[in-house]
Formats: sequence, structure tokens, C-alpha cells
Amino acid sequence: MHKRTWVSGLIRWGIVLAISVLTLTPVVWVLSLSFKPPQEWLAYPPTLIPRQPTLENYLVLFWPGNPVGVVSEMVRTAEPVTRAFINSLIIVPISTALSIIIGFLAAYGISRFRAGGNFLPFSVLTTRMFPPIAFAVPLLVYYRSLGLIDTHLGLILMYTTFTLAFSLWMIKGFIDSVPRHIEEAAILDGASRWRVMFTITLPLIRGGLAAAALFVFIMNWTEFLFALIFTSRFAVTLPVQVSRYAGAVGRYYGPQAALGIVASIPVLVAGYMIQRYLVRAFTFGLVK
Amino acid sequence: MSKEQILIRLEELTKEFNGTVAVQDLSLEIREREFLCFLGPSGCGKTTTLRMIAGLERPTRGEIYLRDQRITDWPPQRRNIGFMFQNYALFHHMSVYDNLAFGLRVRGISRMEIERRVRSIAQALELESVLHLRASRLDLSTMQRVALARILVIEPQVLLLDEPLNNFRPGLRELMRAELKRWQYQFGRTMIYVTHDQEEAMTLGDRIVVMNAGRVEQVGTPDEVYWHPATLFVASFIGRPPMNLIPVEYRISEGRAFVRSPDFEIKVDQRRSIIEQSQALPHLILGIRPEQLRIWDPQGSFPTSWTRLPVQIDLVRPLGRKLILDVKTPSGLMLQMIVPSTRHFAPGERVEVAFDPEQIFLFDPQTGRGLY
Amino acid sequence: MHLSTRWGRWWEEDRWMGQLLILPMQLLIWFVLIIPMLIVIYLSLVSWQPIMGVDWWQAPFAGLRNYAQALQDQRFLSALGRTIGLVLAAVGLEFLLGLALALFFHYQEFPAKRIFSSIILYPMMLPWVVVGLCFYLLFLDKGPVNYVLIQLFGPGASVQWYQNPLLALMTIVLADIWQWTPFMFLVIYSGLGALPPEPVEAAMTLGASRWQIFRHIVLPMLKPVILIALIIRSLEAFKIFDLVYIMTGGGPGTSTESLSLYLYRTGFVYGQLSYAAAMALLVLILVALVARLMVRPLEMELESR
Repeated sequence: MHKRTWVSGLIRWGIVLAISVLTLTPVVWVLSLSFKPPQEWLAYPPTLIPRQPTLENYLVLFWPGNPVGVVSEMVRTAEPVTRAFINSLIIVPISTALSIIIGFLAAYGISRFRAGGNFLPFSVLTTRMFPPIAFAVPLLVYYRSLGLIDTHLGLILMYTTFTLAFSLWMIKGFIDSVPRHIEEAAILDGASRWRVMFTITLPLIRGGLAAAALFVFIMNWTEFLFALIFTSRFAVTLPVQVSRYAGAVGRYYGPQAALGIVASIPVLVAGYMIQRYLVRAFTFGLVK
Repeated sequence: MSKEQILIRLEELTKEFNGTVAVQDLSLEIREREFLCFLGPSGCGKTTTLRMIAGLERPTRGEIYLRDQRITDWPPQRRNIGFMFQNYALFHHMSVYDNLAFGLRVRGISRMEIERRVRSIAQALELESVLHLRASRLDLSTMQRVALARILVIEPQVLLLDEPLNNFRPGLRELMRAELKRWQYQFGRTMIYVTHDQEEAMTLGDRIVVMNAGRVEQVGTPDEVYWHPATLFVASFIGRPPMNLIPVEYRISEGRAFVRSPDFEIKVDQRRSIIEQSQALPHLILGIRPEQLRIWDPQGSFPTSWTRLPVQIDLVRPLGRKLILDVKTPSGLMLQMIVPSTRHFAPGERVEVAFDPEQIFLFDPQTGRGLY
Repeated sequence: MHLSTRWGRWWEEDRWMGQLLILPMQLLIWFVLIIPMLIVIYLSLVSWQPIMGVDWWQAPFAGLRNYAQALQDQRFLSALGRTIGLVLAAVGLEFLLGLALALFFHYQEFPAKRIFSSIILYPMMLPWVVVGLCFYLLFLDKGPVNYVLIQLFGPGASVQWYQNPLLALMTIVLADIWQWTPFMFLVIYSGLGALPPEPVEAAMTLGASRWQIFRHIVLPMLKPVILIALIIRSLEAFKIFDLVYIMTGGGPGTSTESLSLYLYRTGFVYGQLSYAAAMALLVLILVALVARLMVRPLEMELESR
């Protein structure tokens, strides 16, 4: 409709580039910091590319007292993050899987059977509205009596429940889009309702389930507050470890940066895979 | 007030999308005050052509002229045309009044003038009672009137309508058709109308542009496209039930020209010179409309020159005052005919059918062109 | 399994199966959400701290004392006000930036749009703590931000971001904006893409300029989408915790403490669980009221479609 001159093209490219730079800079900075040896951490002027790149910062995370290099001397007393890493690797996938499974069952029940009436879906939605603190306080008390503090199970139960709202809404949207007559045809052929649910509906929404799973994964992996409150030694997850590390090693920025990168990689990968579904997930399916 | 003044001229208009050609070298002159219909099946390019006239699509090649002014590059805003969409595209979040006033407001017309014009159009189209309502709350036929009013109020040079009656069920559709025709006449505007319904084009259009696969098959009045179809496509597209098409052979015997089918033979000396230009000889296609086939009645006053052939009735479909008969010729050819329902017919019954051999249509099977 | 004789509603016959399907979810919700909710209410009405040495169900009754105390608690009120300010600033700026970005991406043509969209979206995925860490490192006294400032404005431009409450708050807001503007962008961009083209085309044929079309047609049609995005993001932003914890720890002093952080400290650091419960419930009521208010225009919008 309008002719584009090369000047406006240049401006456009300039804006796009500026946006990209702004978006990438913080992480790129941390990334480069994570490869820098101690003398470059606070170097002036700050450089983007380390002059003497090193993998020490990463190594030191898992093996604080390692005999290689200088950094390990500084952080020798810090905890290895291995435990937190493994804990996250246990707790998050399990609670994610549970959330999806339970969410699928419930979504099917609500979609096909109108179970729970009209009240249930919205009440689930409201759980996301309230500050988690409101739940954390009583849960602490409650969990203590039940001995669930600082346990994997305790955290798994919490994560599963708090992500149910997401799972439910996303999966319900997918189930709703499967036409009923496909299921009806199978029932006419003699299949039981259960069989229909697992062998017909489930495969049809495979993609949606995967997307929901990745979302819940991201949410659980990055969760901080509850992990902070309810874990102390055994069940500590990565985000908590990051904050502890920052406190423990103070000015040793290199390892902190490395830890931040390590903690981010799984969710970045997951996030890349689910781009298509981002809008639907973040708005609880209200916007497609 | 001559109807001969050219309002819009299209010159070799072509539109390509990703390698597919939607419209190919379309040239056409559109006259002032005429009701022009673009007719054709889905995908024939009629809507694309309309959108190019409106400025909503940019032609790949070709030019558009509005009163001798080259407007090919002009954006829609400049062209002062009115476009009615298939689903009316009303501004749902606005009231009817605001919908109508929109085109005037964006031109900076004074509030008093807007009020005057909107009310006058609303009165003409009987919309006064709904002016304050939100556009989303209207029923379909009211929406159509609002859409029309919205266009009329800006007093455009020409109105473009893209299959606006698709949403109506058959009974209402005829009513709305009559309304549109009445308004076009009343307001004296040029209307360009796109439809795939041949009956609609025939009843509405002063002239019809029949299109197929991006090309113009014929431009003519309803009479012209019905009684002098330029191509096979036009002949079979226009008219319901469609024209009967019969493959025949051209033969010269004893110095006279005939077309021959297994069931009958017809002299065609008058058309001989045109026929013999065809490259597809001896194969031709003969066309005859269902209403041209009559039931032979010995007492009746049919001229003896008429061709007769015996047929067996296969199916009887009543249509109120008329009947559609599917009949089978001795050679197994199926024909359709329309007769008054004064007499009763039964499937399996044998009757004799007659038609005037001078009124038949001949087509070149290769090019599709009519041979007149 | 059997089909109902009433063909139309056969799926509702197997009611028990429906109940069974939602059973696991019901169990979890009761266990982790509903019972704790009841306990919270109970706790807020008694006076209990773990150090008191008694079990929580034997705590002495305190009536509405905790609530009254909260309403006069300076720290609580300033945390509340501060958090509201944070939300307004952050969400407001996120909305404007996100809108600008969405419009830019929607109306401008440039190659590799997909790739750039992906790049823009990734901050949303990162754990909050990592974002907090990133920005903390950026705003260090000897960090890159100060370096750039010095380069641009000379040696005196270096700022001690974490010493000044207002500046510290700014860094938090910046971090939040960096992380969540992509969300606004995404929602508005999708909304723009989902708009039907015909009203826009109709407006064009009626003579409207691009700006007029945007203001009178596109923007009103986007309203429900924008409202949803604003509501969801505001509710989430209100709970801000991780960023504040990592970046400033509420400091200097308590001048950057967010509501969630104060509640956390009260309950889990100072051990005043009853008091924390009361405050949490107050906040809950407040949030519910505000949410109700914010949803009302949305309902109206959706209704008149």
C-alpha cells in the first residue's frame, strides 16, 4: 500500500535489533560472567567475552573442593549443588506428571460428564489468584504434624495441586475440541467409556498434553516460595539453592552466574518447544 | 442521464497469488447506473476482481480507471467506493448510528451534517427504530440494511457487493434481492454484485459477467447469456435445470450439411460456414434447453418441421406448476425437460418428444465456443 | 457400560464415572487447599507461635486482635502500598511496551519474524530467581550498568543502586518489566492476529486512515484481550516475592519489602504464624474484591458480543 524507502527499512531493522539486544543482554552478561575467572568478575571496563575463559565456575558448583584452579579455594565451604539439582530432577518431573494425569482425568470428567457442576472449574481458577503465602502458613503447621516438611513427597503434593488449575484448563480446552461423535462411534462399537478415554481421546490430544506438561514443568522448576519454606536440607530444589548460593558465596559472582545458567537450561529448552501454546497457557485458555 | 457513460474501465487486470492465477487479463467497461453481476463458481476470480476494484487487493498487472483517472495504485480510502462484505462486517462494538456515521466522521464532516445525512438514510431504509442499538444485537436482514446504509451515506461513486445474500434462507433471499434491486434503482447508483447463484444474477443484473477459472466467459444481458451463450460453460452454468448437451457428428450428405446423433438428425445448412471453421470436426456438441423439449401431441399445433424422437420417462419431479422429466432416448442418452403439469406422467411411460431444430445450440467441443 | 435409551443425553448417565474421574483432584484440593484454608482462618483467630511450645489446636483464642493489629501495622501498610505501587508501575509499563511491540510486529514486515518473536519470549521462561540474579549482577556498583552510565555521563554517574530505596525499587521494577513485557506482547499480538480482517477492510473502504482504524476499530475490538492480560498479570505481580528476595532482600532495611516478603518473614522467620495468617486473609479479601472489580468491565464486554 505504501512505498517503503530504504530509510524506513533501516529504522525498522534498528528497532528490531535494539529489542533483541535489550532482551538478550542480561542473560548474555551472566553467561559470559559464568565463564570468567575471578580476576575478571569485576574487571573495569567490563568485557563481554572473557579473556581467559574457564569452566571452573561450573565445576565448582558440583565439586567445591576440587583441586583444579583458583575458584575452588574460595568456595570450598559451600555446598555442592548436586543434591539440589537431583532433587529438582526428581520432584519436578514427578509432580508434573501427576498434575497432567490428574488434570487429564478431571478435565475429561468435567468436559464429558459435567462433573462438579458449574462451580468446580472456577473455584479451581481462583486458587491461582490468592497469594501463596495464605496457603503456606497453614500448610506449614499441617505438614509439620504430618511430618511432610523437607520431604520430596510434601513438595510433590504441593506442586501437583497448585498447577492443577493450569493443567485442568489447558487440557479441558483440548478435550473440548475433540468432537463427541468420534467417541460415540467407538461406544456404539462396544468400547467401554474408560477404553474410549484412553485409546481414542488421549492419543488425539497428545500434542496438547505435551504442551501442558512442558508448561507445568516450567512452573514447577522455577517455583521458589514453597520450596524455600518447606525444605531445608533434604528436599532443597534448584531455585532455593540459587538463593542460598548467592548468600553463601557473597562476592563470588562467577559460580553464582554459572548456577543461574545451569538452573535455566531445562526450562529454556522446554520453553522453546512450546511456543505455539504460550498464549493459551498463560491466559488459562481464555485467549486462543 | 445516458446509461452509456463509462464509469469504470478495467484493462487486462491480472492477479496472481503465489504462482496461481486468480484473474487473467480481465478487460471490462462498467457503465454508470448499471447493475452489473459477476457470476461464476467458487474460485473463478469474481471476488478477487471485486476486491481489486475496491483497492483491497493490488493487481499483479493491468490498470483500473475511474472516469478516465488511473486509480490502480490508489488505496481504498481514496477511491470513494462502497464495499459490502459477505458477513456485512459491521462494527459490532458501535451502535447503528455510529456505524452509519463512521464514514462521515473520518472525513471530518460537521456533526450537524452527519446527523442530517444519517437520519435521512435511516429513514429511507427504515432503520430509525434501531439507530441506538448495538450492531451486534441485530438480526441478519437488519444487518444487511445497516451495511447498505453505511455505504450509501458516504455517497460513493459505485457500490461493490460481495455475495451479500449468502446468509439468507431461500424465501427471505428472494425478498432481499427485490429490495436491493429496488434500492439500486431508487438511489440511482452503479452496483457491482458478485454471486455464484445464476438465478440471482439473472434476476438482478442489467448485465452479467460470467467468469470461470480467472477468465471472462461472456459479458451480456440476461437474455444474451441465456439465449446466446458464448461458450459451453455459460450454456451449462446458466439455466436450471441446465441445458442438455448432446455429442453429435457433422456430416455432409448429398451436398447438404447435417449434425447427427444416434437418435436424430438435423439439417444445419444455414450455419455451415461457421461450423466448418471449427477444428474439432466432425465432433460437435449440440445443446437444447429443457423448456425447448415438448411432449408431442398429435392434435397439437406443432410445425411438421420439428424433430421428433421417442423416449422413455425415467423420473418425474414435480415443481408446482411445472414438472421436470428425466427421459431416456433409445440410444440411452438422458435428457431433462420441463413441461407444464397439466398432464400426469408415470415412470416407464413412453412418449414422443419434439423440438424446433432451428433453435438448437451448437458448440465446438475443443474450444467450448458457441457456433453462431 | 450401557447406552441410555434417551439418545440425546447418554453421556450424563454414567455419572459415577464422572465423579470418579475428578476424585483425585478433589482429594488433592481438599488436602492441600481447602483444609489449609480452614486452618488459616482458625489460626488468624487465635494467638499462636510455634515457640510457645503448645500444639496449634490448643492455642488460646484471640478473636479479631490479629486483624486489628495488622491494620495498624506500619510495616504492613507500607508493604501493601509499596506492592500496589510496584504493580501499577510494572504492569502499566509492561502494557505500554507490550502494546508497542505487538503493533510493531503486526504491522511491519521484516524477515525472520518468527525467530525474533522467539527471542523476545524467552525471558518469561526463566526462573524468577535467575532473573533476580541476572539483574542483581547487572546493577552492581562495579557492574555493566554503571559502566555504561559512566561512559555516557562521566564518572559521577555511577549509582549505588541498592543503597537507595527508590532506586532499588526501580531495579526490581525493571527486572519485572524485562521478564514480563513479552507476556503482554504475546497476548496482544495474538489478539491482533485473531482479529477478523473484514471490519478493518470495511473501515478502509469508508475512508478511514490507518490511525483512525486503529483507534476506533482495532483497539475496541482488542479490549477483552487486553483486559484479560492486565488482570492476569496484575494478580501475578501482586504476589511478587522471588525478585525482591534475591535482589534486595527487602533492603535497605525494609524499604523495598513487598507484601509477600513481609508476610513470609512474619510467619516463617519471626514465627508469628497467627499474625501472618490474619494478614494473609486480609490480603486475600482485598485481592478478591479488586479482582471482582477488575472482572466486571470484562464481563460487560463479553456479554455485549
